[in-house]
Amino acid sequence: MRAFDHQDVRAYLYRCASAVKRHQAYLTRLDAALGDGDHGDNLAMGFAAVAEMLTTDTSATPGHLLRRAGYELTASVGGASGPLYGTAFIQAAEAAGAHPTIDADLLGQMLEAAALALARRGRCSVGDKTIQDTLRPAVDAYHAARSSGHAPAACLAAAIHAGARGMRSTRALVAQRGLAIRLGERAIGHLDPGAVSCLLLLRAMVAPARPSTSRRDQHLAGVDA
Amino acid sequence: MTAEERIAELESELARVNEEARRETDAMFAQYQLSQLLASGGTPAELARALAAEVMRLCDALSVSVWLAEADGDAFVLAGQAGDPVGVPTRFESRDGAGAWALGTPGSHLIQVSAERLTGLVGMVRKQDAGLDPDGLRVVKLARHEIAVALGNAQLRNELEVERRELTAIIDGATDVIVQVGRDLRVVRINRAAMAFLGELASDSVGRTCAEVLQCARAGAHGEDACPLAEVLRTGEPIPIRDTTVVGHEGQVVSMVGGYAPIAIGSDEPRATAILRDVSGAKALQELREGFVATVSHELRTPLALVKGYAETLLHLELPESERLHYLERIDQLAERLRGLVTEILDVTHLHADPLVLERVPVQLSSLVARLVGDLEMTGGVERVRVDLPMSLPPVEVDAVRIGQVLENLVRNALKYSPESTTVTIAAEPTGAGWLTVHVEDEGVGVPERERSLVFEPFHRGRNVRESSIPGTGLGLAISRRIVEAHGGRLTLDSRPDGRPGTRVSFNLPVAGGRRRATGTTVPVSATTPGSGTITTRVGS
Repeated sequence: MRAFDHQDVRAYLYRCASAVKRHQAYLTRLDAALGDGDHGDNLAMGFAAVAEMLTTDTSATPGHLLRRAGYELTASVGGASGPLYGTAFIQAAEAAGAHPTIDADLLGQMLEAAALALARRGRCSVGDKTIQDTLRPAVDAYHAARSSGHAPAACLAAAIHAGARGMRSTRALVAQRGLAIRLGERAIGHLDPGAVSCLLLLRAMVAPARPSTSRRDQHLAGVDA
Repeated sequence: MTAEERIAELESELARVNEEARRETDAMFAQYQLSQLLASGGTPAELARALAAEVMRLCDALSVSVWLAEADGDAFVLAGQAGDPVGVPTRFESRDGAGAWALGTPGSHLIQVSAERLTGLVGMVRKQDAGLDPDGLRVVKLARHEIAVALGNAQLRNELEVERRELTAIIDGATDVIVQVGRDLRVVRINRAAMAFLGELASDSVGRTCAEVLQCARAGAHGEDACPLAEVLRTGEPIPIRDTTVVGHEGQVVSMVGGYAPIAIGSDEPRATAILRDVSGAKALQELREGFVATVSHELRTPLALVKGYAETLLHLELPESERLHYLERIDQLAERLRGLVTEILDVTHLHADPLVLERVPVQLSSLVARLVGDLEMTGGVERVRVDLPMSLPPVEVDAVRIGQVLENLVRNALKYSPESTTVTIAAEPTGAGWLTVHVEDEGVGVPERERSLVFEPFHRGRNVRESSIPGTGLGLAISRRIVEAHGGRLTLDSRPDGRPGTRVSFNLPVAGGRRRATGTTVPVSATTPGSGTITTRVGS
C-alpha cells in the first residue's frame, strides 16, 4: 500500500458519504430501538455536507482536508454523533499535521488520536455500547499488526476485522452512555448504531476492488439490516 | 530571554490555551448530552437512573444516587442509582439528614436540584484516592434547574399516565355502550362494550356516522333530524335520560336508555358522548310484572265474582232444589279453581325460595303416565292423548309426585294450547349416560322463537296466548322446570322435529342405578320410532 495523499483522502471521504447514504435507513432503524431514531439521517446529512465541501475544496494536504471535514460534521449534524466524529476527524488531522502524505505509521498515530479524542469528548470506553466499542479494538489491532511487521494493507484489514468484532459485541451490552442508558437491560439484543457507523467509516478506508452490488456490504454480514 | 526561550514560552502558552479550549468544548458537549438525556422522557425511575449514570461518568464518580422529595413531607426517597453505591442511604427523613450524610462521607458531594414541581438531591461518592472531575461537577451544577424540571415533568407524565390508564380501565370495563362523536356526528371514540354489543359494525366504527353504527333509524328510534347527539351538539345542553332503540350484533332491535352530554376538550371542536344501557331485560321484567297483575286480577277476580254472584243468589232467592244444587256445584268448582291458582302461586314462590326436597324412588315412567291418563279420564281430554313408550324403558329414580306434576303440567298445557281435533303425544327414549328423555308433543299454536327463553319465567304468557281467550297463570312451565332441574335434568322447548306446527317439550330424568354425567345440560332430542318393542296407545279411541 502506498502512502495516502490528499486525493486519496478526498476519495475516502466520498466513500464515507456513499456508505452512510446506503445504510442511512438501517442506522436510523437501529437508533430507533436505542436512542431517538435519527443516527442514519444525521450522519447522512453530515457527510452530504462534507461531499458538498469537497466540490470547492482546495486543500493541499490530507491533514487540512480532514480538519475541514471534521468542522463540517461538527457544524452540520444535529445529534451527538456529529461533534463526536468531527472531533475524531479534527484530532486525526492534528496528528497528520502538514505532512503531504500519510504512511502506515502516521496512519496509526492518526487513528490513535481519533480514538483518544472520541473517548475524551464522549467520556466513553470499551464496553459502554458506543462508537468506541468498534474504534478502540480496531486501533489496537492496527498497532498490533504494525508492531508485528505486517504490511499496511494487512494492518488495515486487521483493524477492520477487530472493529467488526467489537461492533458485534455491542449487541450483548447494557448501554452506559447516551440515550440508551434509560433502557437498562432492555438495550441488550440491539447493536449500537454508532458502533455500526464507525465500522462503515473504517471500511471506507479500503478502496473496493470493484463497486459493491450487494444490498449490504460484506462486513455487515450477520447484522440485522 | 532568548528567542528559543520565547518560542518555547509561546508554544507552552498555545498548548495551555488549546487545552483550555478543549476542556470548554468537552464541557459544552457534556452539557449538550446531559440536556439531550433530560429531554428524552421516560418514567421518573428511568430518568433518575439514566441521570445517575450520566453524572457518574461526567464526574468520574464511584457512585451517584438521585433522591426525590416526597410530595407530602420532608423526606427524600431514592429514585435511581448508578455505580457502586455501597452504604448509600435509600431514604433521608429531611434535607438536613442528607446534609449530615454528605458531611460524614469523605469525598461525597451533594447537589440540591429544585424547580416549581420538584425538589431532589444528586449525591456523588468519589473513587478512592481520586477527586470528582471538576468540569463534570460544574456541568451538573449548571444543569441543576434543568434536572429538576426534567424530573418534575417525568413525575407529571407518570401521574397523567396512571390517570389515563385508570380512566381507560373504567371506560373499557363499563358494560354500558359508550360512543363519542364529533361535530359531524362521526364516531371518534367507542368502548369495548359497544364493540361487543354492536358487533362488526362497531369494530371499525371510528370515522363512520353514529347513524350507521347505532342504526337508530332502522331500529325505529328516530331519524337524523331527531338524533339526541345532534341535539346535544346543537344546544350544548346535556340530555340526562332518553329512551332509544338500536340494532344489536345479531340484528335484533334493542331497547336502550341513554344519557347524552356535550364535551369540550380545550380548544378542540365540541364532541358529544352517549352512554347507552340495554334495558330490554328490564322491559321484559316489567312485562312479566304486568302479566302477573293481569293474570292474578283476572284469574282471581273472575271466579270470586262468580262465587259472590252464586252465593247472593242462594241467599236472596228461593230456588228449586236442582238449581240450588247446580249453584253449589259451581261454587265448589270455582273454589277448586281458586285453590289450584293459590297452590300454583305458593308452589312457584316456594320452589324459587327454598331448596327442593325430593323423595326419590325407582319408578317406571309408564306408571306415572298411567296415573295421568287415569286423571284425564276423569277431567276430560284423554281421548286426545297418545302414549308412545318403548317396552324396555329402565325405571327412573325420581320424586314420583313431583315428576307426575311435571307430566300433568306439560300434558294439560299441550291440550289447552292446541285445537281439540289434534293429538298430544307422550314419548320417551333412553338417551345414554344414565338418562331417560321424555317428550310431550302437541300440534298447537307453538311458541314464537323470540319468546322461548321467556316461557319458563313465572307469570310469563306468550303474546299469541294472551291474545287468545285461553285462561292460564303462566306458572306451569316455571314450576316444571324447577322440579326437573332439582333432579339434575333440563327442560327444553322446541319446534316439532317433524316440521309440523306445534311444540315439543322435552325433559330428562335420571335412570335408577344408572351411571350418568353430573348434569343433564343437554337433552338429546330425536323422534320416537314407533314399531316393535313400542307401546303405542291411543287412549280412549
